[in-house]
Amino acid sequence: MSGKSFFVDLTKCTACRGCQVACKQWNKLPAEETRNHGSHQNPMDVSAITYKTVHMKEVADDKGFMAAWLFFPEQCRHCTEPPCKMTADAYDDKAIIHDEATGAVIFTEKTKDLPEFDEIREACPYNIPRQDAATKVMTKCTMCLDRVQNGLKPACVQSCPTGAMNFGDREEMLALAEKRLAEVQKKYPEATLGDADMVRVIYLYQMPPKSYHDFAVASATLPGLMNRKAMFAKLFGPASRNKA
Amino acid sequence: MKLGRREFVKLTAAATAVTAFGGLGFDLAPTKAHAQLMSLRKGKETTSVCCYCSVGCGLIVTTDEATKRAINIEGDPDHPINEGALCAKGAATFQLAENPKRVTKVQYRAPNSDKWEEKSWEWALEEIAKRVKSVRDASFTGSNAKGQVVNRTEAIASCGSAAMDNEECWIYQAFLRSLGLTYIEHQARI
Amino acid sequence: MTNHWIDFKNSDCILVMGSNAAENHPICWKWVTRAQEKGGMVIHVDPRYTRTSSKSDLYVPLRSGSDIGVLGGMIKYILDNDLIQKEYVLSYTNASFLVSKDFDFKDGLFSGFDQAARKYDKKSWAFEMDENGVPKRDMTLQDPRCVYQLLKKHYDRYDIKKVSAISGSPEDKLLAFYKAYSATGKPDKAGTILYAMGWTQHTVGVQNIRAMSIIQLLLGNMGVAGGGVNALRGESNVQGSTDQALLFHIIPGYLPTPRASLATYEDYIKSISPVSKDPKSLNWKKNQPKYMASLCKSLYKDIEPAKAYEWMPKLDDGQNASWLVLFDKMHKGQFKGFFAWGMNPAASGADSNKTRQALANLDWMVNVNIFENETGSFWKGPGMDPKQIKTEVFFLPCAVSVEKEGSISNSGRWMQWRYPGPAPMGESKPDGDIIYELALKIRELYEKEKGAFPEPVLGLNVGDWGDGHVFDPHKVAKLINGYYLKDTVVKAADGTETTMKAGTQLASFVFLKDDGSTCSGNWIYSGSYTAKGNMAARRDKTQTPEQEKIGLFPNWTWSWPVNRRIIYNRAAVDMNGKPWAPNKPVLAWDAANKKWLIDIVDGGGDAGTIYPFIMQQHGLGALYGPGLNDGPFPEYYEPLECPVTEHPFSKQLNNPTALQFADEAYKRTVCDPRFPFVCTTYRVTEHWQTGVLTRWLPWLTEAQPQMFCEMSEELAELKGIKNGDKVILENLRGKLWAIAIVTKRFKPFEVMGNPVHVVGIPWHFGWVWPKDGGDAANLLTPAVGDPNTGIPETKAFMVNVKKA
Repeated sequence: MSGKSFFVDLTKCTACRGCQVACKQWNKLPAEETRNHGSHQNPMDVSAITYKTVHMKEVADDKGFMAAWLFFPEQCRHCTEPPCKMTADAYDDKAIIHDEATGAVIFTEKTKDLPEFDEIREACPYNIPRQDAATKVMTKCTMCLDRVQNGLKPACVQSCPTGAMNFGDREEMLALAEKRLAEVQKKYPEATLGDADMVRVIYLYQMPPKSYHDFAVASATLPGLMNRKAMFAKLFGPASRNKA
Repeated sequence: MKLGRREFVKLTAAATAVTAFGGLGFDLAPTKAHAQLMSLRKGKETTSVCCYCSVGCGLIVTTDEATKRAINIEGDPDHPINEGALCAKGAATFQLAENPKRVTKVQYRAPNSDKWEEKSWEWALEEIAKRVKSVRDASFTGSNAKGQVVNRTEAIASCGSAAMDNEECWIYQAFLRSLGLTYIEHQARI
Repeated sequence: MTNHWIDFKNSDCILVMGSNAAENHPICWKWVTRAQEKGGMVIHVDPRYTRTSSKSDLYVPLRSGSDIGVLGGMIKYILDNDLIQKEYVLSYTNASFLVSKDFDFKDGLFSGFDQAARKYDKKSWAFEMDENGVPKRDMTLQDPRCVYQLLKKHYDRYDIKKVSAISGSPEDKLLAFYKAYSATGKPDKAGTILYAMGWTQHTVGVQNIRAMSIIQLLLGNMGVAGGGVNALRGESNVQGSTDQALLFHIIPGYLPTPRASLATYEDYIKSISPVSKDPKSLNWKKNQPKYMASLCKSLYKDIEPAKAYEWMPKLDDGQNASWLVLFDKMHKGQFKGFFAWGMNPAASGADSNKTRQALANLDWMVNVNIFENETGSFWKGPGMDPKQIKTEVFFLPCAVSVEKEGSISNSGRWMQWRYPGPAPMGESKPDGDIIYELALKIRELYEKEKGAFPEPVLGLNVGDWGDGHVFDPHKVAKLINGYYLKDTVVKAADGTETTMKAGTQLASFVFLKDDGSTCSGNWIYSGSYTAKGNMAARRDKTQTPEQEKIGLFPNWTWSWPVNRRIIYNRAAVDMNGKPWAPNKPVLAWDAANKKWLIDIVDGGGDAGTIYPFIMQQHGLGALYGPGLNDGPFPEYYEPLECPVTEHPFSKQLNNPTALQFADEAYKRTVCDPRFPFVCTTYRVTEHWQTGVLTRWLPWLTEAQPQMFCEMSEELAELKGIKNGDKVILENLRGKLWAIAIVTKRFKPFEVMGNPVHVVGIPWHFGWVWPKDGGDAANLLTPAVGDPNTGIPETKAFMVNVKKA
């Protein structure tokens, strides 16, 4: 498996949110009407017009003092075997496409004709897909495929000051991830890479992924949503639907 | 001339323009980013420096030559300080320029009025010049109470501005001091 | 900044104190991260755990306003444990200077204090001079009147227990901080300080920075790569606007504003010509007469400098015309007209209610801005009745930065040229065009009608500003650089003579003359636009391997002065020209060719011939600084509004010389149960200053939509406040609402045995926009200021907080 990948070194993220705004700038996405919810984070979640948002979580030590302030720039992981596409293919194999050269998973305008948005959303182990209420088109991060195909880095990666966001050939990114993991583990023994073999957005966590975000890694089992294992069973099991 | 990364990218973009999305055979959604890239190829690139904090990050501004409006503003990868990076503010510079809420005509608020009125530049500059002159002439102090020469007016004050360019700041202080102002202050004091 | 942004990567220990660099200068964190990757340590000292703390190796909490306690504790730690860089301290600082026998310090007051005038007579603080007029020195540092011994004695009171008791910083954290930072006293190690308004916005602002400068000198951290004292400036050109002297007390190039008692040009020239009898002291400021003459010629080309001086406005002796005084006078009705040019004082000045009322006392105001703001529209703001307000307002729309051409100077003194992209939107114009056109209009009126003392208006050299209609930034940049006004023969080092034709651009300030034969609008920018062209527009990243090692980029844009990238760099080498840190040299002395390599050397001359701190009269770094208004050593004082009635260092609670207005004392409280909480103000990444250039950008208001108040879980519980609740903050100056962010990142401080709660609010919001965004933090801040700068104390004051 080759193509492209992101490596996101969360130990270096300062939550400057350059990536969050650069994404909107490049894609010319409108802003959401937000309120302060008692946090610096906003928007609180990805949406049809927000492909990327930086989650912020405070972690205390046993005495109640700050142990870490964790930042998690969330985006589509561009799965190597994307379950959203597998689900959509049952209806229209051109609704969600998987770019061979880069591995980017792209929602096309044809997603508006897919019968069940919830089915696509629930297929995603990371709870990423969103739908435009008016057009019914489904949306998410595009990997800035237009930029990537023209030799530019995705807007979010170019915007990152500290080296938290990296992008390149998958082998190179995996090697960088492993190298950084080994370094980071010296300071943070719990450090891990999230789902590195299954996704093209590989996060390096200094603390257990769940402390960053409920949907940080696919192993999460949440009420109302299937875990990845269950989902694959559903996709390939006898109950799997035929193409429409 | 040695090509910087930025120029290199531009050439690549031009070379692959035809094949960019051709291979897929259908439209992508969202299509706006696609349009963005297409218009960038037609745009004129200029360099600038971020107007927010004092790090001095380099920007590349792409302007549509027909409309003279910005199409895209992002970090300059060749700039040694930011190497293409921008924070939330810098990354939002596009919306500073292309913002429908900008005031683009001179406004005037008359004494005791509750509204703004649109005015011409010619009118406003004439009226301001008259007021400056009359206040200056009425308040000009050649010598202070001790009889020392001071050549000043203490009836006009100015605050501003760190948001101006060096050349603008310099002529601004020269202009104010030629009128005799001593109450000249700006952001550096607060 | 003595150093520059990329240089942070060369540091072994980065102290972020009085700043929140990762949030407010986010891209600099690239270079902080590089230092960390090489094993450098990052320490953040702040009342609140921020995004900066989250990326630091050590976070030390302190109560806002107690910095001098914490820094004084470090000075004591360094001296007690003898961690100073000895050769550096002996050779490059005034540690060995003897101070006058009359100098004294008792219970929080230095000698010479005049209680009635709240001012010091500084005579007794002077150095003792020998018969040649050179300061007397004791190189053994044993004399009880030498600076080193006085320093030791002064900070002997700052033991860690007292420091911890007053700052609320835990002792173990303080010790870890002191130990890590003072390790940079080794000659080959460098420590740097990144500070910002967290240090300046106090009534002890200058002394906060002085305390750190003392530490930097003791540890030999000035002049070296990865060291220095680095003020992270808040605006893209606040360095440049200060250099160009948009301040009452200076004229371009940091020359002092003329004063009434300096009646003639000769008087003024004498006052700016310091003398040093020490042959090793270069005493650079002795050149100031050349800079003044050239400045006069840039303003008034056709008359002699002496005449131009006569025309210049003069302040009365001792007169303070700084911001707080200006608005106090405006409030009292002194001003008829006011320019709020690219500024929003109704939100940015301390005590906003006072500022907003002051604006109503004007006849007219000119407000130049990109967006509507609280200043231009003050007459329709909260509590205002437009019918009762006479002030006429002219709002002139200006272009945004990417629509115009010119240079700005970043915090690292890099003067960078910008080009226009889009055209100015609608009828908006670049500020330069507006100033130029207005100046021409006023000139026309004076030509036509004459009037009071028209000479300086009519004589102004506007010919170098544009083509008669349109402003030309290149012409002005050339004027600022300076050029020959007469054909001049210039002699090179090898004796060859060249005739420079009148009109030729000067190569640097070295060529400026005191006889009126050269002009230069600002000597420190001389060298920026030479016969070779616009240096600020350079984009050449070529470097020698040594330059590349420390990231100097000498061919990228231009840095003042004379393209020197690290100032005081002569202190990076010993008296033989050998770098203290051979692994990251800033200078190297090529003895064979008698040449300095790597950076542009400070001062010139052979190795070992001059002292490194050339802008000081005596050439040496000032551990003892007899020039400031509040003492030669930083001393601990509480903010003017504070949560304690005493502190452990003296009986003097506050800075006795702080700038304050007697008729406003009633608006301030100390230990008043009605206003029990310390409040501090700050910025967030997503907004800037009063928010005029960010609140209107939907992507930024999306990320930070509303005024908030951060507070500890403990305080929230005490006041029955839940996260996300709307709360009211108030004191005797004002009131505002905010959304509560209840967080572990704020913790109550234990101060002298009692719990003290600190809350924090950002200052970017205002009533104009967004509609439910909130109003300015400055509604609550006091109009009191530092005695040296007049900068207001907006970082520590008292409030009450309650659920709305």
